[in-house]
Amino acid sequence: MINIKKDISIETLVVSLLVSVMTIMLISLFLNFEVVTSSIGTEIIGINADTTGSANAVTSVVTYFRGFDTLGEVTILFLSIFGIGLGLEGYKDKLNIFAYENQLLKTAVDTLFPLIILFGFYVIIHGHLSPGGGFQGGVIIASAFLLMFLAKNDDFALNHKIMGLIEALSGASFILVGLLGLLIMNRFFDNFLPLGTLGDLFSGGVIPLIYIFVGLKVSAEITALVEYFVRIKDVK
Amino acid sequence: MIGLIVLSIFITLIILAVLIISNEDLPHSVILFMGFGLGSVILFFLFSAPDVALTEAVIGTGISGVVFLVTLLQIRSKEVNR
Repeated sequence: MINIKKDISIETLVVSLLVSVMTIMLISLFLNFEVVTSSIGTEIIGINADTTGSANAVTSVVTYFRGFDTLGEVTILFLSIFGIGLGLEGYKDKLNIFAYENQLLKTAVDTLFPLIILFGFYVIIHGHLSPGGGFQGGVIIASAFLLMFLAKNDDFALNHKIMGLIEALSGASFILVGLLGLLIMNRFFDNFLPLGTLGDLFSGGVIPLIYIFVGLKVSAEITALVEYFVRIKDVK
Repeated sequence: MIGLIVLSIFITLIILAVLIISNEDLPHSVILFMGFGLGSVILFFLFSAPDVALTEAVIGTGISGVVFLVTLLQIRSKEVNR
């Protein structure tokens, strides 16, 4: 005889009920798979080309329609990197965990490093034309620096003054662009530059400018995070 | 047809998630976590969200996996030193 109250708790029952309902909903969703369209999405796609001049609707939502949210995201990222730096500052030293020589990685990294940096800048600059943008491109650039840290132990060192300068200047210019929109067009992050023709590299008004600043800021921050984790002090 | 592909990826992701949690070997579990990220990249792409797929490919599969692995290796090297 199973005592339901004693053997199975209420939370377990509720959670298993919810999980089974969600599973049934997901399976029914997958079996008649179609792109879900809501009214606000079609509305934004409809007015996107005329108001922002950007070919990628996701980018115009991120930087134009919801530019204030992007400012919040950048602030959250900055605060989390600041917290990691505060916690790990005493452990930072010029000693790498990967102390063994990997000749394959060492030979390949000299060719791969500029290519990955180039691809990262491509993703940042073409954010208003193709998928991607400031955040993705910034993390791609940081992954190139991660490869550099893994391949060259103590031979590769970042100039922290320049990294901090890049991060601070790009963050300040990002807010400055928003304030210029407020000053000229009476709306934070509004467009005050000519739109250009849809699909050109130099189009979309203020969107590529915002994404270049976001990309530089994110790449500097994620590179700092990776450096904090890869470099460690020898604990005795 | 594409619904069946999505469904099979979804079931694989559930199995991978259970394996990640139940694995005793933590570096092994991190490698499985990166595989989980790869599966969700395909899922995001099939749900017509290439921006999210690109973010997940770089963050979930690249940076966070390497950060987990490096942290695990550093904890182990400290334990060996003691």
